[in-house]
Amino acid sequence: MRLFSTRVLATVALACLSLSVSPAAAAPAGPQNAAQMTIDFLTRDDADLRAIGLERVRYGLKGQEFTLPLAGLLPKLAPARQLELTAALSDRGDRAALPAVLSLLQSSSDAAVRATAIQAVGALGGAPEVAVLAKSLASAEPEKSAARRALAVVRGAEATALIAAAAKQGDADLRSTLIDILADRRAVAALPDLAAATVADDATVRTAAMRALARFGGPDQIAGMVQGVLKAAAGGEREDAERALVAVCTQNPRHEQSAAIFLEQFKSADDTTRETLLPALGRVGGAGAIAIVEGLIADTDAAKRNLGLTALTKWPDATVSERLLDLLSKAQDPNERELLLGSLIRIAPLPDNKLNNQQKLELLQKTMTLCTRDDDRRRVLERANAIRLIETLRFVMPYLDDPNLAEPACLSVVELAHHRSLRDANKDEFTKALDKVLATTKNEELVDRANRYKQGQTWERKKPAGS
Amino acid sequence: MAYDSASLDKPLETLKAFDWGGDIAAFEPIDAAVIAVHADPAARADLEKRLASLLTAGTSRAAKEYVCRKLSMIGTAASVPTLAALLPDTDNSHMARFALERINAAEAGAALRQALGTVQGDLKIGMISSLAGRGDTACVPQLAALLGGDSRTAVAAADALGRLHTSEAVQALAAASNVSDKAAAAAIVDARLACAESLLQQGKRSEATAIYQSLATAAAADTSPAGKSIRLAANRGILACLDTTTPS
Repeated sequence: MRLFSTRVLATVALACLSLSVSPAAAAPAGPQNAAQMTIDFLTRDDADLRAIGLERVRYGLKGQEFTLPLAGLLPKLAPARQLELTAALSDRGDRAALPAVLSLLQSSSDAAVRATAIQAVGALGGAPEVAVLAKSLASAEPEKSAARRALAVVRGAEATALIAAAAKQGDADLRSTLIDILADRRAVAALPDLAAATVADDATVRTAAMRALARFGGPDQIAGMVQGVLKAAAGGEREDAERALVAVCTQNPRHEQSAAIFLEQFKSADDTTRETLLPALGRVGGAGAIAIVEGLIADTDAAKRNLGLTALTKWPDATVSERLLDLLSKAQDPNERELLLGSLIRIAPLPDNKLNNQQKLELLQKTMTLCTRDDDRRRVLERANAIRLIETLRFVMPYLDDPNLAEPACLSVVELAHHRSLRDANKDEFTKALDKVLATTKNEELVDRANRYKQGQTWERKKPAGS
Repeated sequence: MAYDSASLDKPLETLKAFDWGGDIAAFEPIDAAVIAVHADPAARADLEKRLASLLTAGTSRAAKEYVCRKLSMIGTAASVPTLAALLPDTDNSHMARFALERINAAEAGAALRQALGTVQGDLKIGMISSLAGRGDTACVPQLAALLGGDSRTAVAAADALGRLHTSEAVQALAAASNVSDKAAAAAIVDARLACAESLLQQGKRSEATAIYQSLATAAAADTSPAGKSIRLAANRGILACLDTTTPS
């Protein structure tokens, strides 16, 4: 196959000659020849040669005087080549290529080329290009996704302001997408706008605003987010809004300050508002919240007591475990018992709670003694395997003899055995336990896993579908 | 911790009979001494002398390996004769080279060059590798003479010349580019590309271009995959040489 054109060989020969004879005089000619050679390579059918040319487009031939002829090649190429060169010009990062890329976006009938051009406009452009990119959000795929990515990276505070302005009006789906883009940009300047959007008329916009604030909101947005929770329709939207508020109060930077502001907002609210905010208050937890919740639990009004109990059962850590045990031991109402028991089972093995592994296991064992139904016992056994102690194995083992609880107990034994350091440190005990699992379980996957662990092998957990 | 020569008597005696898999805890005082003598020339000379004295008959191979590792850290010209004596020894040659490659004394390079002219086969390839590892440009004429020799040695010599990339190395590789042995020819191409890359990095664009151009011309009619690879590499290099807008 012919790899060199006569023109290129002549160019190279000339360049070599001039470089060896007179390096000083060759300096301006060298890059010009390199540009010519690069353009020649970019038009070849040979992918390897094109790759060499594209490498030079990306990382070499510095300066606008080279960007312009390289970008000028775009209209002369076939779509597949246009795509390659556009991506390389995008990586090159010289804004001088922008007019050629915009022109390609306007003129190309190939969707993949237009999508690549949109991405390049995002990389090379700024505020003046926001309008064209926002317009592309209404296109079909792959342009729509490309426009979303491009708007997330397009440079400048002015661009952010334009995106924020566009997010205030128009179609709800478009507003929601633009709000997500503002979150991707971590657009701090747009936080007041996002807080305002939490009470928009459209649920899609409200949800997007709460989702965005959950990612990077702080204390200054709590008041707006509280309004967002109150405005959200009961059910899924309310739950999502609560989670967003809780994320800002428990995870984001300055979350303690955010939680304190939320508590103040709660205290100053009327009864109806408090009722709506109470589940979120429970999820945030903390010393200030417990006093409010205890006050409600002590109330003679059954509805208020129930609200307090519900909030307590949503607590994010095990600091309320003793209180839950106390309440459970005194509870007469079956619904109340179920609520409290479910909470204890959930809280005990939480990885980020305030207890060490031994304390977690003791709490779970106490909870087990309070269970009166096999369904609850099953849940306790299933949660137990999160506590990686040999004592957990010993706690679980007797339940293998109970026909109603044998399968969850087998699962926990196998899950504990999954952790090599725990298994190897207690090899004999685990071997006996796995033998008993093999003799008991009807679950083929557990049989396979038990056999593997006995032989010192690993087992790869299947990823959930869609992940 | 101060250096105490007397405290090494027992560990050094134990070391003589050491075998791989044995308890190395007994040699911790020696390891500590290697660190302790770092800024004490007199102590360092004493320790070096005592260690080098173990590189004799009657000391196990594992012990010699241990000693060579320590001499690679504290050795000077004083250890070179003892280490050089091991270079023709099949069992101990590679560990002697390990030390000599790292000892910062011209005598170490001279000893390796001397051995290069006398040993054969794998040992010779080892000398070539160590000389390249030292960056010993004085060995270039010896390496150049090996390019037309047996295949494995020629490959090693070409690789070493590519690593040394002096103008003499560049010339020697160019002069040998028509060797008939395929493996050696391929190694020479690789070495020339390495030289060109290095020259380009040093800003010597015209010298690098000459190599790339020569390789491209030589491979112009070669339709094999290797020929294409050479042309592509040369092309890429030529382009980089021409592009003076980009730091090399």
